[in-house]
This record gives sequence, C-alpha cells and structure tokens, in this order.
Amino acid sequence: MKLGRWQLLFWTLVVLVPSNLYVIFYYAPVERTMGIVQKVFYFHVAAAWIGLLAFCVVCGASIAYLWTRSDRVNHLALASAEIGTVFISGTLLTGPLWAYPIWNTWWTWDPRLTTTLVLWFMYVAYMVLQSGGETEARKRLSAIYGIIAFVNVPLVFFSARWWRSIHPVVVTSEGIGLDGKMKAAMFVSLAVFSVLYTYLVPLRMKSLALRSKVRQLKADLLN
Amino acid sequence: MAPNFWNKVFLIFKKDLKDEIRTLSHLLGTLVFGLMLVFTFSYALQLADLETSRVFSAALWVSIYFSASLALQRAFAKEVESGTLEALLMGSGDRGVLFVAKFLYSLSLLLIVELVVVPLMWVFMGVTGHNLHLGLLVASLFLGSWGLAAIGTMLNGMTTQLPGSRLLFPLLMFPLLIPLLMGAVLTSQGAVLGETQSVMGWVYLLLAFDLIFTVVPLLLFDYVLEG
Repeated sequence: MKLGRWQLLFWTLVVLVPSNLYVIFYYAPVERTMGIVQKVFYFHVAAAWIGLLAFCVVCGASIAYLWTRSDRVNHLALASAEIGTVFISGTLLTGPLWAYPIWNTWWTWDPRLTTTLVLWFMYVAYMVLQSGGETEARKRLSAIYGIIAFVNVPLVFFSARWWRSIHPVVVTSEGIGLDGKMKAAMFVSLAVFSVLYTYLVPLRMKSLALRSKVRQLKADLLN
Repeated sequence: MAPNFWNKVFLIFKKDLKDEIRTLSHLLGTLVFGLMLVFTFSYALQLADLETSRVFSAALWVSIYFSASLALQRAFAKEVESGTLEALLMGSGDRGVLFVAKFLYSLSLLLIVELVVVPLMWVFMGVTGHNLHLGLLVASLFLGSWGLAAIGTMLNGMTTQLPGSRLLFPLLMFPLLIPLLMGAVLTSQGAVLGETQSVMGWVYLLLAFDLIFTVVPLLLFDYVLEG
C-alpha cells in the first residue's frame, strides 16, 4: 500500500497526539501550588500559538490573493481562518478554567486576553464576510479585510498593555517560572499542535475546493 | 498629489453635502437615533445611580459608535442605490480621490451628529464638570471621529458591493475600532475630570490610529472599488 502525504501526516498524528497527552499528564510534573489545573496550560498556549499563526497565514494569503487572484490562495486564507477560530475558541475556553481557581476571576482585561478576544471577533467577522457564495467581490473584499484586521492586532495589544501599565495591575499573567520538564512538555505541545494545523489546513482546503466545484456544477446545470 | 486631486475631492465633497442638506432624510434619521441612544443611556444610568462624571465618556462613546454605525453607512450606499457609482468612478479617475471625498463627507456627518448628541448627553446625565478641559474634549471627539470615519468609509465602500451589507457593516467595523475606543474614552474622561497630563499618551495613540487607518485604506482602495 502506497502511503500518500495525507495518510503519512494522519498516522504521524495518531502517534503524536497520544504521546503529547502522555508528556503533558505523566512526564511533566504536577505544579506544586496550582495542582492539576495547571495542565490546561499546555493546551491553552499551544492553541493560542496556532490562533496567531493561522492569522498570519490569513494575512499572507490575503496579500497573495490580491496579487494572484487564485482560488487556491483564497481557500488557504479561509481554511486557515476557520481552523484558527477553532483554536482561538479553545484558548478562550481553557483560559477561564485555569483563571478562576488561580486568579479568582473568570476574566480580566489583561492585554493578552483582550487581544485574543478581539482576534476572535475579527476571525468571526472575516468568516461572515466569506460566507454565502464565492463571488469575485466577496473574495477580493475578504482579502482586504484580512489585511486590515492583521494591521489592527498589534494596535489592540499595545494599547491594552499601555492601559494596564498606567493603571494598577491586580492580576497578571506574568511569573510562570517553568520547570525544565514543563518547558519540554510545552514545546512538545506547540510542535504537535503545529503538525495538527498543517494537517487540517490542506484537508479543509480540499473540501473547500470540492464545495466550489459543486457550486459551479450546480450553476452550470441550472443555466 | 496634484492640485487637481484636491479640486476633484472638493467637488465630490460639495456635491455630497448639498445632496445631504437638500434631502436631510439620512441625517435626521441618524440624529433621532442618536437622541434616543442618549436618552436611553442617561435614563438607565440614572436608574442605576452611578457617578455620572466617571461614566459619561464611556456612555458617550458607545452612543457615538452606534450612531456611527448608521451615519457611516451612507457614503457609498447612496451612490449604489442611485446607480451613480460608475459615473463617479469614471469622473474622478483616481480611487484615492473618491476615498478622501467620501471620508470628508462621513467625517462631517459624524461631527454634525456629535454637535447635537454630546451637549445633550452632558445635560441629560447632569455632569457637573467643574474641571472640564473643553479643548481636550473637542480634540478627543475630533480625533475619535476621524478614525471612525476613515474605517467606516473604507468598510462602506466594501460592504455595499455585497448582499446583506447593513448587517455586515457593524460586524466588520466594531472589532477594528477597539483601540480607538480605548483612546477616545480615556481622553474624553481625562478632559471631563480635568486630568489632562495623564491622558496625553492616549492622544498620541488616537493620532497614530488615525494615521494608520487613513493611509492603509488609501493604499488598498484601488482594490476595494475594482472593475
């Protein structure tokens, strides 16, 4: 049996994901004061990393789309936005699970939290813009939005940080001194999540391509 | 930019203002909506019994944002409705001309709305304002409106080309305006409370935001109104 690129990545993930879980739950020690709840950190940070990476891909693909006008590039941007949204949602959901026992609050307007939430909103807005028919205008305008939204990210982050540094900071996300094994577990998580992303994006691109093909065939049939 | 550029900008801007003054329908509708927001906000805050001078600028800017989501949906939509966008594109030649003209028009609309909404909000909320720094308040309103108008003009040019634009417009606009909201609320609050020194940093943030979101749309506008 000849293994394609897909199967190869898929089977790699079948091995990698359980190993990642093993590293998180058994290899990395249980944090002394926070206890078992700290384990959420490995998922949280890795998902946030993918969310940010996916957003960079959206911006890059958007610029490339305005240049090339290729459907494939548009599908890359959309697939990356969709998958990024899933991961960012993961970050936003796992964060409070940890924050409530540790900070004693579900939410705080820390720059990182604010930026992540705004990022999520822009992702959703981008997907709404892309939804409902692949017209030329929609693809072009989505690409423009993908670029402007990306420009906005550093502005949100720095203004939120600035605001917090003027005001007294009640809770911070600073001071996570990491033990060597914990650091290793974090990097393993980052790597495994990245492989997962590189597996999911082409998969979704393929289904998006099929979707436009079906739409095209339907349109041809009706004419 | 050639002097010709500003001539064209001025002509289109004058046409839009004339059109607005003659019909008044859109401006009046937006004003009434703004007044309703002011009333609803001040009444709700009155019921909650909050210290008004501290809540004023937050309530004011949320009202301005919502009013803007109406006021800014006009610039290109009216051209599309009357089928004059093509002619305008041919007449102006340069897409940049159209962006700047429509931006100035949107900014004027917003400022007119604020001219009515801000004093009324002040009165309704019963802000004392012993330490009010009027210059800074005006500056914060102007800089905030500039950014709003720049992003609004760009997004209106985009959404009018798509179905369901009225819903799309605020969805796309609000997340982009978060940094502006921070700068505007904090600067206005500083002006109301008379704490001018501590908020100067936010004035620079507003300036930077306005600059970035005037230049970036100007660069991308050829792609917005293509074909």
